[in-house]
Amino acid sequence: MTANMERMISLAEIVKAEAPRGKSSYPRRKKFSQWDLQLLVIPSVIFVLIFSYLPMYGIAMSFQEFRLGDFPGMSQWVGLKQFGALFRDPNFLTVLRNTVVISLLKMLVNFPLPIVFAVFINELRQKTVKKFMQTISYLPHFISWVVAARLMFDFFSADGGAVNQVLMTLGMINSPIAFFNRGEYYWGLAVGTDLWKELGWNSIIFIASIASIDIEMYEAADIDGATRLEKIWYITIASIRPTIVLLLIFTVGGLLNANFDQSMMLTGQMGNAMLRGYADIIDTYVYRVGIQQARFSFAAAAGLFKAVINFALLLGANWLANKLDESALL
Amino acid sequence: MRRKKTVGDIILDIMVLLTMLLVLIATLYPFLNSLALSFNNADDTTRGGITIWPRIFTTRNYELIFANSKIYKAYSITVLRTLIGTVVGLLFTATLAFGLSRRNLRGRKFYTYFCLIPMYFSGGLIPTYFLIRSLNLLNNFWVYILPNLVNLWNMLLMRAYFKSVPDALEESARIDGANYFTIFYRIILPVSMPIVATICLYIGVFHWNSWFDAAMFISSQQLKPMQTVLISIISEAKFAEQIASAAAGASVDVGSIGRGKVVNVRSITMATMIVTIIPIVIVYPFLQRYFIKGIMIGSIKG
Repeated sequence: MTANMERMISLAEIVKAEAPRGKSSYPRRKKFSQWDLQLLVIPSVIFVLIFSYLPMYGIAMSFQEFRLGDFPGMSQWVGLKQFGALFRDPNFLTVLRNTVVISLLKMLVNFPLPIVFAVFINELRQKTVKKFMQTISYLPHFISWVVAARLMFDFFSADGGAVNQVLMTLGMINSPIAFFNRGEYYWGLAVGTDLWKELGWNSIIFIASIASIDIEMYEAADIDGATRLEKIWYITIASIRPTIVLLLIFTVGGLLNANFDQSMMLTGQMGNAMLRGYADIIDTYVYRVGIQQARFSFAAAAGLFKAVINFALLLGANWLANKLDESALL
Repeated sequence: MRRKKTVGDIILDIMVLLTMLLVLIATLYPFLNSLALSFNNADDTTRGGITIWPRIFTTRNYELIFANSKIYKAYSITVLRTLIGTVVGLLFTATLAFGLSRRNLRGRKFYTYFCLIPMYFSGGLIPTYFLIRSLNLLNNFWVYILPNLVNLWNMLLMRAYFKSVPDALEESARIDGANYFTIFYRIILPVSMPIVATICLYIGVFHWNSWFDAAMFISSQQLKPMQTVLISIISEAKFAEQIASAAAGASVDVGSIGRGKVVNVRSITMATMIVTIIPIVIVYPFLQRYFIKGIMIGSIKG
């Protein structure tokens, strides 16, 4: 609590204690009249209604055949026709594959590494170094993918980019590799650039969790002769297990998202034909097919498919966590 | 209680050290390199080999972009939407969070579920587009502000924080006859500065980095933000780069002509980029302890 808060609280306690009893000097409130509280809340609720709930009619669009001129949500009903077309479309299957692969890779690599980084940060002894490294580590999180993509293009550039220079100096390759022009490299690049951008930020919650671990446990472990590695595994990581599980549930629930911004920027808004087959994900597909090709119902079906699967995954992960007796979301 | 250092200890120390070095270099190098390029003479950059320090220092690249009205316009759009969007967004988010944090709110359960559902489920891009269109927000500055008034994740963070404020504050204010507006504005808010700072940062960064809503909903060049300008400058550079690399094998003359053009665009690109990221890069370290606390409260106690 801030010092400010503490001062206000002690003042408040005094005022409350001094309040005259019996003969109330404060205006009588009818038991449930809280028009002022409701008024504070209602404008925001209306906003949520308009911008979050109204678009939900889009769900109806997935089961209809939208024609130009139709009022959205009032087109002819065609049942599961759109979904049938979706699964028969080879483009969509490629897109689905890309989305799942990229997300799984990110989960495999970019989920554990922030935990490792947090543990390492915790092992640093000087406080200034700790703070400095932390501050630097989340610098890339605050820039947009527009900027990040440009930086990464330069970093991996075949024309004097740092990565190629280092690889050549180490003798691992003979001539520069044009990383961003090879489709097969895209998945690795997507994971790597995402790691570069979000490692520091994602480690914050773990660092904060670790900071709240009771020091006495480490001291007790010392007495029992534990090595540093053992302390890390049995105390540090074990203590932040609830946090890890919670975040894992969230990650699984976002599996089909795979970062629209990143995909658009790393491919020059899908301009790079060599990458398209590997970089197209569900969200970019919906954007291209829905907005640019104006196949609204079709794209709406893809979007709904994604939302439903994500939600099912979230519930599934949560159920599994509960089953394994871990702390869960719901 | 100092044990002797074991081999395992030393290996761990080395790994920690290497990791920190790697993170430090990999994170900072791209930025320092771009900074150096932006301050380097454009023709000299052709020769390549610039790492983290400019070889021939010049401010010409910045002079060029500050003289460009397109950049001024875009910058002012970005600044305007960030300022307005942050203030208004904070207002709507905080009031909702405050209401939901009061246990005596009538309909609290309903409101809470009402706000929880859209976090897991949304209509998607297409219906949102139609909604924006029917609200006449297409090609309208307010499309930057109005659809973003409340971010439900932010709202949850604020609600958790407001809940942690001791009841005594509100109660004594009520005894003094304060209504909820006063309680919110004069009591709870001043005491919640950490979470306010955090959310302001989150909303601010969102607006500052936004490019997609401009791409989707805005067609007028007058209303495009900095990120969009950056995108168009970058794609110009990419185009010139592709011409250059196609010509690079042919002959020295053609190659260097192409590369000269590339690099001029490249220097401008770097300068524009630096100008775009500087405000955030400068601000975020100062708000560090606030958003760290914010994340902690939101995820652990939320």
